[in-house]
Amino acid sequence: MEELLNDVVPQEDLERFERKYQQENKVNGEVSIETKFEYACCLVRSRYTNDIRKGIMILEDLAHVHPEGKRDYIYYLAFGNARIKNYTEGLKYCRAFLDIESNDQVRALEEHIKKQSDKEVAKGMAVAGGAALVLGSIIGLGIAMARK
Amino acid sequence: MADRAIKLLIIGESGVGKSSLIRRFVENKFDDNHDVTIGMDFKSAVMCVDGTEYKVALWDTAGAERFRSLTPSFYRKALGAILVYDITCRESLVKLEAWLAEVDSYSDNPNIAIIVVGNKIDRERVVDREEGRKFARKHRALFIETSAKCDQFVSDAFKDIVEKIVSSEYFGNGTSSNGLTIDNEQDIDSSPSTCYC
Repeated sequence: MEELLNDVVPQEDLERFERKYQQENKVNGEVSIETKFEYACCLVRSRYTNDIRKGIMILEDLAHVHPEGKRDYIYYLAFGNARIKNYTEGLKYCRAFLDIESNDQVRALEEHIKKQSDKEVAKGMAVAGGAALVLGSIIGLGIAMARK
Repeated sequence: MADRAIKLLIIGESGVGKSSLIRRFVENKFDDNHDVTIGMDFKSAVMCVDGTEYKVALWDTAGAERFRSLTPSFYRKALGAILVYDITCRESLVKLEAWLAEVDSYSDNPNIAIIVVGNKIDRERVVDREEGRKFARKHRALFIETSAKCDQFVSDAFKDIVEKIVSSEYFGNGTSSNGLTIDNEQDIDSSPSTCYC
């Protein structure tokens, strides 16, 4: 799963589908579902957080207007959120998917997100614990000094 | 030299059993439910050929049409392609012609190794073994028939293509740029190692 999440979209792919998106928007005043999806799939695989966020917005919109393709959108919503460390959202989409359909690929993504999120929590606790320790020793030192 | 990486692509029509072959090979599991792959999936395996370990990266592609335009970038740096069809569905073999054309146009490796895999031999056959073999021969590809469900010849399919890749004269040249570390002192001209195994 790690390899999949770390795989960055080639810049020329992103630019190609971006051009297609803008072209359709300019000529027709709207963008086809296919083009939106292609562009969003590239965006969520970008190295930049802002691109990923933009991709997530497009996918959220697609999930509303095109229910037939929902499983693809939900998967990439989980995927995009996982890539920007939005673990709570990512897990939400994984569960929404797995409620409807049992799927190995999504289960692997869910497990990965859980593991990463636990790691973050542990890191957070370590930092908080460390801070408490430092604070405690400062107070202790203060008390000791005051007593002297 | 412990880290020898080989990238393999698995392509073919939707429902022929691409993910099932990988799952059987990597995890020794099979599920009768057909989980339709979304976009692209990834699994890796370590394979041993003649005492050397290779890390094989298996990129499983979605057969569904809507992902067709998104997959070309995944062909890059692939050393081998596994083309899968379903022996109960002639159309899936016919369509391999188009998948081969994709390999030709998107792969950046002119010496990419190809194996044609006829899957589902546990079921009633529609496509003759000979038809699959002929197709493979025409395209200078390896050929094998498998059953992911009954675990027949699945590991042979992966072994055949990996052996073909590592025994190719191009192996090493193609991968040196993406991961293999080459020592500064190159003794290429002093002892050209030829392997007859």
